[in-house]
Amino acid sequence: MLYLITGGAGSGKSAWAEELVCRLPGQRIYLATMRPWDGECRARIARHRAQRAGRDFITLERYTDLAGVAPQIPEGANVLLECMGNLVANELYSPEGGGEGAVLAGVEALERRCAHLTVVTNQVFSGGADYSWETLDYLRALARIDRALAARAGCVVEVVCGLPNVWKGACP
Amino acid sequence: MIFVTGPLYAGKREWVRRALGLSGEELTARAVWDVQELAARCEDLPALARELEQKEIVIATEVGGGVVPVDPAERLARERAGRLSCLLAQRARVVVRVCCGLPQVLKGELPCAST
Repeated sequence: MLYLITGGAGSGKSAWAEELVCRLPGQRIYLATMRPWDGECRARIARHRAQRAGRDFITLERYTDLAGVAPQIPEGANVLLECMGNLVANELYSPEGGGEGAVLAGVEALERRCAHLTVVTNQVFSGGADYSWETLDYLRALARIDRALAARAGCVVEVVCGLPNVWKGACP
Repeated sequence: MIFVTGPLYAGKREWVRRALGLSGEELTARAVWDVQELAARCEDLPALARELEQKEIVIATEVGGGVVPVDPAERLARERAGRLSCLLAQRARVVVRVCCGLPQVLKGELPCAST
């Protein structure tokens, strides 16, 4: 089953998604998509690692081509993919990126492989549209992917102040 | 009047078309969208809300969820957009917020079963 978790910056969506994944059966895999560009990224990664410590997650770092990492994931696993905002940027803008198609193909490959796939995405669409065309292109791509995943997901949750607002399905 | 709001590129118009079974032409005839842009240039928001209410479906994009803009005109525009949405929601029979292509009813009931 596919779970889509969205929320704004600092909404508590990561922590909520981790708790969700811990309630689901299967080997927990944390699929990290953030490239450690600088100190701030590394600090964020360290904070998320500390948050997951003791919860029996295997961490895999993968910045593009999720379809390529799918064979490394045990059948029936319980995968937490964080986050779609980074993955889309990596696929669209890094030299080895495969574009929007690679994102959806990657999610589909993971879905076939695991029992539960939880995808964390970013709600970055409520601050107006006064952006450069490059940024708007990125936002449109991320929004298309969010909508495609929400259409397929069994459960869609927006996390607000750490609390779930359920848009589709029911929280397990 | 049905008022539909939600983030940018959330699939608001697409949802309205599917939920009400409208063609693109029917949507154009019966709905008005991007009303947040009308609010930005409007001195009399209650009058604008009354005018928009004549349409069956009114759609606004949420624009007030970012950092307060430095530019005074942009600040005013997003403030007006928010105020207009409040006025429209008060007048609407049904208010729906669309996110990731999915609806959430904030007021009233959906006109048909297709959610």
